[in-house]
Amino acid sequence: MSCAFSKELLALHVENDLPETEGHAVAKHLLECAECEEFIAQLSRRQSQLKLLRREAIPESAFSRMRAEVLSQIEDSQRALGWSVWIERTLWLGFRRHALVFTSLAIAAVSATLFAQMRQPAWEDAAMSSNLAAVFGDNDALIRPSGYREWVSVGSSLEADGSDVSDPHAPAQSSSGLSHNVYMDRFAYRAFSETGKFPEGSVLVLETSGAAASQPIALQVSVKDSRFDGGWGFFDFTNSDGTIKDKVQSIAGKSSCRTCHEERAKSDHVFTQFHPALKTAT
Amino acid sequence: MNYGPDNSDIVHGTLSMARMPGTAISPEAAEVAQIVRLVLGGDTAAFERIITRYERRVMSIAIRVLGCHEDAHDATQEVFLRVFKYLHRLNLEKPIEPWLMRMTINVCRDLGRKKRQHHSTSLEHAPSEPITTNPTDDPFTGLAEEQQRQMLWKALGGLSENERVAIVLRDVEGLSTAEVAAILETPEVTIRSRISRGRLRLKELVDQMSKGAMNGGTR
Repeated sequence: MSCAFSKELLALHVENDLPETEGHAVAKHLLECAECEEFIAQLSRRQSQLKLLRREAIPESAFSRMRAEVLSQIEDSQRALGWSVWIERTLWLGFRRHALVFTSLAIAAVSATLFAQMRQPAWEDAAMSSNLAAVFGDNDALIRPSGYREWVSVGSSLEADGSDVSDPHAPAQSSSGLSHNVYMDRFAYRAFSETGKFPEGSVLVLETSGAAASQPIALQVSVKDSRFDGGWGFFDFTNSDGTIKDKVQSIAGKSSCRTCHEERAKSDHVFTQFHPALKTAT
Repeated sequence: MNYGPDNSDIVHGTLSMARMPGTAISPEAAEVAQIVRLVLGGDTAAFERIITRYERRVMSIAIRVLGCHEDAHDATQEVFLRVFKYLHRLNLEKPIEPWLMRMTINVCRDLGRKKRQHHSTSLEHAPSEPITTNPTDDPFTGLAEEQQRQMLWKALGGLSENERVAIVLRDVEGLSTAEVAAILETPEVTIRSRISRGRLRLKELVDQMSKGAMNGGTR
């Protein structure tokens, strides 16, 4: 271009981004200069094309996947925040309301929780985390999930007195009147609700309890993990004396668990046909 | 359940920020403030409503700044984790959008730098995967538009990080220069300079590509 007029000003004028006085000066020049008028027409066409980029669509699945990942990570808010931010938040909000009272409470809460955390073994701490529902120790031994009663209860049943139905999950020495509850970790439940598929790492816990006891008398867990045959590992935490083990290795080979789950479960080794919450989810 | 507003204008058109700092609070901002209070009060599930409301805006900016869907997904996730983490720092008397968009740009910059250290990709490059658009009825028009679009994406990748961010916010997202300046916490005169240089560079790059395409086609 032979005209020495500022191209930078023209590039701003094309979208009215100049202050009024400069805008007037550019407009006046354009009335006299055909070369700059053509240049600004070209810029204007380019701007129109640039605005077409606004039409780019993003698939809904991209959002749902991102949302599920974020929500699973913040499920335990205190853990998601980390200690330093948690203290900062407590103090910050406390200061906004009742500075002294809240600060005192925050310090007390921090001290109490630190003390409790010091007493809690590291693996229990890890197993409490919602997105680490399955925590493995040495030799791929599964550590008993703690806090699973706060997961999603997907189904339960009560075995009536005198029932002659043979329940493969009932402990050997048990009598009737047992209740069976199945829990699923929240991340897996959310993913299954949205996709109809169990994500890697899904954990389902089958807890069997007596009528009066608060503690389970049998505990079986299945974990979707590609390291195991068929993509699922089956774990029985139940001791022969009715107590529950802290960790256990997967049931090896073609066990009755695996065979039954493979042959009779409706969806990917899971008896979704018996679990109301999963039937609804699909 | 859809808690969010109608997002169609966010995807397809200009969405100017409802308010700038210092102006009166709108009903929408009041609703957001209420949700924020719930989250800060311990109702973690309420945070999903914040995500649903702003996820399109955040992800579309991230795609345009990073030029890659996969990186944009990671960036969006990181943005909302940071929002959750620092939600207590948000001044509820002010709108959330500038804060959220500033965080989005910062996360994209961090991610871009990390990627460049490892691969020399992202901000200086065109998108690594095709991005779908609304199809036009005329196949010839559609093809020409698609070629222009691909050239623009490539040209955007040829801008400096500062120019690209300014162009994305001003020209693609449709914010005013004052709003871009507020988001980036940079003087408006600097923003105008970046926009000006970015537009001229973009034109130069697309012209070069068009010439190259024409020469290739006539050979």
